[in-house]
Amino acid sequence: MTFQGKELEIPPDYYEKGVEFGLEEDPFLRVRKKGSSRWIIKHLFHKSNKFLVIFWLIFMITSTIAFSQLVVMLGDAVDYVITNFGNIFDPSIYKGLIRYVLLILAWGIIRPVLGMVGNFSRELLAQRMERDGRHEFYLNLLGKSQNFHDQQQVGEIMARTADDVRMLNYMVSPALALIGEAIASLVIPIVTIALKYPPQLAIIPTAFLIFLIFYVQKYFKRLGPVTRDLRTNFGEMNSVLNQTLSGIEVVKGLTLEEHETKKYLSKTRAYRDALIRQGIIEAKYLPILMMSLIVVIGLGHGILINLGYIPTSHSLEIGGIIGYVSLLVSLRRPTFISLWTFQVMRYAKSASERLLEMMNEEAEKLDTSRGKSLEIKGKVTFENVSFIYPKSKNAVLKNLNFEVLPGQTVAIVGTTGSGKTTCTKLVSRLYDVTTGEILIDGRSLQEYTLESLRSQISYIEQDVFLYATTIFENISFGRVSSMDEVVKAAKDAQAYDFIMKYPNEFQTKIGEGEDSVQLSGGERQRIAIARAFISNPKILILDDSTSAIDSATEDKIQHAMQKVAEGRTTFIITHRLSQIRWADKILVFKRGEIIAQGTHKELLKTSEEYRKIFLKRFDVPLEVLIKEDA
Amino acid sequence: MVWYGLGDEDYDRKYSDKVLIQRVLPYFNPFKKKLLLVIGCLFCSALLGSLVPFIGDLILNGKDNQTLLIVFLVGLFLLTGLTYILNYVQWSNSSKIIGDLILNLQKDAHKAVLNQDMAFFDKYPVGKLLSRINSDTTSFADMANILMESSSSLLVVIIIFIPMFIFNWKLALIVLASFPLVLITALSFRKAARKRSLQGQQALSNVNAFVNESMSGIQVMKTFRQEKKMYEQFNEVNAQSFRVNLRRALLLNFIFPTLTLIQGIVIAAVAYFGGILSSQNLYLFIQSIWLLFFPLFSISAFWPQFQSGLSAAERLFSLIDAEREVHQTQENICVIQEGAIDIDNLTFGYKENSNIFDTFCLNVKPGESLAIVGHTGAGKSSLAKILGRYYEFQEGTITMDGVDIRDFDLECLRSQIGFIPQTPFLWADTLENNVKYGKLDATKEEVMDALELAGGSDWVEDLPHGLETDVGERGKVLSMGQRQLVAFARILLKDPRIFILDEATASVDPFTETRIQEALEQTLQGRTSIIIAHRLWTVRKVNRIIVLENGKIVEEGNHEELMRQGGKYADLYNTYFKHQSLEYIEEIGKIKTMVE
Ligand SMILES: Nc1ncnc2c1ncn2[C@@H]1O[C@H](COP(=O)(O)OP(=O)(O)OP(=O)(O)O)[C@@H](O)[C@H]1O
Ligand SMILES: Nc1ncnc2c1ncn2[C@@H]1O[C@H](COP(=O)(O)OP(=O)(O)OP(=O)(O)O)[C@@H](O)[C@H]1O
Ligand SMILES: [Mg+2]
Repeated sequence: MTFQGKELEIPPDYYEKGVEFGLEEDPFLRVRKKGSSRWIIKHLFHKSNKFLVIFWLIFMITSTIAFSQLVVMLGDAVDYVITNFGNIFDPSIYKGLIRYVLLILAWGIIRPVLGMVGNFSRELLAQRMERDGRHEFYLNLLGKSQNFHDQQQVGEIMARTADDVRMLNYMVSPALALIGEAIASLVIPIVTIALKYPPQLAIIPTAFLIFLIFYVQKYFKRLGPVTRDLRTNFGEMNSVLNQTLSGIEVVKGLTLEEHETKKYLSKTRAYRDALIRQGIIEAKYLPILMMSLIVVIGLGHGILINLGYIPTSHSLEIGGIIGYVSLLVSLRRPTFISLWTFQVMRYAKSASERLLEMMNEEAEKLDTSRGKSLEIKGKVTFENVSFIYPKSKNAVLKNLNFEVLPGQTVAIVGTTGSGKTTCTKLVSRLYDVTTGEILIDGRSLQEYTLESLRSQISYIEQDVFLYATTIFENISFGRVSSMDEVVKAAKDAQAYDFIMKYPNEFQTKIGEGEDSVQLSGGERQRIAIARAFISNPKILILDDSTSAIDSATEDKIQHAMQKVAEGRTTFIITHRLSQIRWADKILVFKRGEIIAQGTHKELLKTSEEYRKIFLKRFDVPLEVLIKEDA
Repeated sequence: MVWYGLGDEDYDRKYSDKVLIQRVLPYFNPFKKKLLLVIGCLFCSALLGSLVPFIGDLILNGKDNQTLLIVFLVGLFLLTGLTYILNYVQWSNSSKIIGDLILNLQKDAHKAVLNQDMAFFDKYPVGKLLSRINSDTTSFADMANILMESSSSLLVVIIIFIPMFIFNWKLALIVLASFPLVLITALSFRKAARKRSLQGQQALSNVNAFVNESMSGIQVMKTFRQEKKMYEQFNEVNAQSFRVNLRRALLLNFIFPTLTLIQGIVIAAVAYFGGILSSQNLYLFIQSIWLLFFPLFSISAFWPQFQSGLSAAERLFSLIDAEREVHQTQENICVIQEGAIDIDNLTFGYKENSNIFDTFCLNVKPGESLAIVGHTGAGKSSLAKILGRYYEFQEGTITMDGVDIRDFDLECLRSQIGFIPQTPFLWADTLENNVKYGKLDATKEEVMDALELAGGSDWVEDLPHGLETDVGERGKVLSMGQRQLVAFARILLKDPRIFILDEATASVDPFTETRIQEALEQTLQGRTSIIIAHRLWTVRKVNRIIVLENGKIVEEGNHEELMRQGGKYADLYNTYFKHQSLEYIEEIGKIKTMVE
């Protein structure tokens, strides 16, 4: 994989830092803790970016110089024309005019060319800021624990990765660039005034400049909460909308369209209100008033000097006053620029704060410091395992004790919400146990790297998630595999037949998309089963993986499963007796506790609970059996 | 590797500028007055700004007359105060306009999207739609800002031009000659700029779609330890967005320098001809040129944003104008009394040439409970979705109580049908609110009752905050079975005439399922219900079972009849109990006697 053009190798033991995934060396690790400004600056000067900054500055300055040359030439030319009034066609004078015109033309061409080069480096910088910021943010998300992700809303994350990061781009281009321009066009006229006119005339614009600097700081602060609100509201808008669209089937079914629109509008209204609040802060931007005032005061000042009320070293003629006042007027543009560039800057800061807030959030991290890459044989032991989901107060699992030998199959049964899924999630360390210990091959889970642990465990989740890509890619998701392997896994999972019905066979795209197909619930589950089969795991976890599959198909899958399960430790969570029966061990869950364990036969005899489910409720209609028996 | 296309969506269309502007203008209608105010303010303050030199001139000429001097200075003072006020009025009003504009657009886009049928959502990923509704509206509003600024700038150009003509019309003509050049430059960038902007927006929505997918499937990624793969794909998407946006930015960066180039040439030309024509007012002229180019520059400096705004408008209107497939021919508000469903010669396929149903007929009598069973992919869910008008069918008729379902008001129809889809969906909201989505004004007691009916509510007490627990996005804080129970309770609360349950309890344990079953028997009494199930024992008591295979009914009858027939159903049923080897049955028998 490459990043910024460089080949990037992720070593197998980089998980040591408490994140589940990340770069070997994260250049921004420390600066992230130091606040958004530091973070932004670090990004601005990161690696080759600093050359772009320098490059841009050089060209911006030279093009400004070219511009002032143009102005000077123009002034000289006008003077030349005026002094040579009437005899312009005199050859030597005409030649002089041509010389001036050519010079003007030359500067007129050089200036945009320089400007363009400067702009290019600035744009490159801006786009890089966006790309790198997004890269860092996304990478960080990948490294966060499942715990963290449980608490997030995807729409919110999307708002941050797509739109907040973009603010970094806008900050460089146009905001920073314009600030550069504004500074130049604030300072240059003042210096010119000081040099060309009685120096005391520079006092008023300098005072203005100082005022501006102070005011901008205050302004920046005042915009803080508003821009933050704006970004937050945007995130909420995204999140609400994302949910509405993801659940569109239900929204329609319950005719909730209007309700959802109302919900969305309440968010967008909050967004609009913040926008208006921002507008009012901007509208009150005082420097605009001050700016106009100093023109008046400056004019008065000039006149007083001219009239001799204020003594100076050099005299000031009418032309001088005009020149002075026009220079004052030219401060207008940078003042206006400062008004909205600092607003953009503030946006960038608020957006970065949001990014950093998420990146710095330390959800309960997995301790991965002791991890080693080890081969798993498949013995799984639970010792007094209890588990509480963070942010919840009740224990979901209480004191679990059991042992599974390599190659055994364990069935987990129990009522809804009794903790079956949670129990299996602990095995692949999606979460860490609260107390007690889980051992694989006699070693604590912590002794394995996440990589070695998870790559040897396959998991078919209860709510199947497939990616919007080809069937082939989906099945081979967990492991790079050949077509043959994929076909075999598909056949085992009874998915082959329906896949081959599509014109593109394994290259059929599924999920949302213009040329994709949608799968039925059972078809999805079968793809997920194939996906788990292919990765050749030491431990296989099937969480209610045939709930949407008819019994005939299930029967076939089961044969394959028995084959696949051979030599591996298998956990199956199911409510189907047909699957439970061939388990070596059955765990009966009730409210987070194992109330019975043993084989089917044993349990039938010993466990009242198990029998209860079995006889009265389970898949077997007893009367039928008994009738047939008789 | 997946290629993240930048192509247009099917519903995207190209609008000519004229049409686009015609579409855009009505959005400004409600703000006509404010808009005029803003433009007026902008114009006045620009005018006042250009007045300052004149007044300055007057002051300078009259500086020997002290009273006049003071009058002028005070006048100037007031003028600046006025400018500030104008600025305030303009700025605060334009932010109001923009805020409301965004709001209105988002409202329209939101409504339009929610009105689309399911086929639309199958086609277009949520991430991309989201980008359109939320981000494109904001870029559109930026355009509105620019529009106001540019229109006032144009006025200023005209105002400046008049004195120029009066002073020296020949030189003025030379300046005027440069205008087409400016225009051509701006226009020649237009097409390319629009295209690149569009691509930029598409690239961003690709980022959105990618993030949406990868974050929704984060658990799968983790369990399969495929972070690296996701990371690589992300880098691709991100790099694409980088490339596309860089190209756009570089292109647009040509505009400004090109214009300064033209400006340089014009000034050189004026200097030359001014010299030749020995113009008296050369100085003033050149000043005016600076002034003149300023608004032109500001128009063109915003050109990129203007183009983004237009392409955003294009994307938005495409979305708003997207055709729906499901069409209601009439809007009968009809209360379904009986609940008879008649499907006659139904032909349906999601895509052309691959029909799921071909001349399919089915009759459901009022109050009947009908079960549909069959292999996966047989078309069971599809049938349910057709009845709920999620997809348009191609041929045949479907009537409810004798009225064509195409003649119903859609909302009215759906409010009579309680459809539980195969995968339950929950909002990131409290448990209570999630149930209430079935009936928005339900009381807490009703919610509890519904939950109690749907398999018992003891699990609710185990949650950290009971009914107030936030269930997380898609209900990820609940177990799968609990999510189904919530979806179930929701429909019970809704209390519709017709129930369509698509494996509504597939992930619920048998113990709870029986409880639901018992409760359901009462609720469903006298109501039409269609139950799709794989666990065959749950459908034994229904009035009629149909076995669906490849979109055809292959068997029909109640449980006993079908078992007697010994056909497909009996087969399915027997496989279902295949594990019952003799040994097993004996065992059961033994236990049976043991228990008794
Ligand atoms: N939105 C869709 N677009 C295109 N094809 C679809 C869509 N939904 C389903 N299909 C296809 O139509 C066929 C029937 O699907 P359907 O969901 O009706 O099956 P089902 O009988 O409900 O199956 P299951 O028991 O697995 O849920 C399947 O082959 C499926 O791939
Ligand atoms: N991410 C989570 N955060 C907090 N609580 C959770 C989370 N996931 C599940 N729970 C709670 O933990 C309990 C056990 O859930 P689990 O998913 O393990 O149940 P289950 O036995 O698999 O049920 P089912 O048969 O319905 O799938 C439930 O009460 C559920 O509400
Ligand atoms: Mg579960």
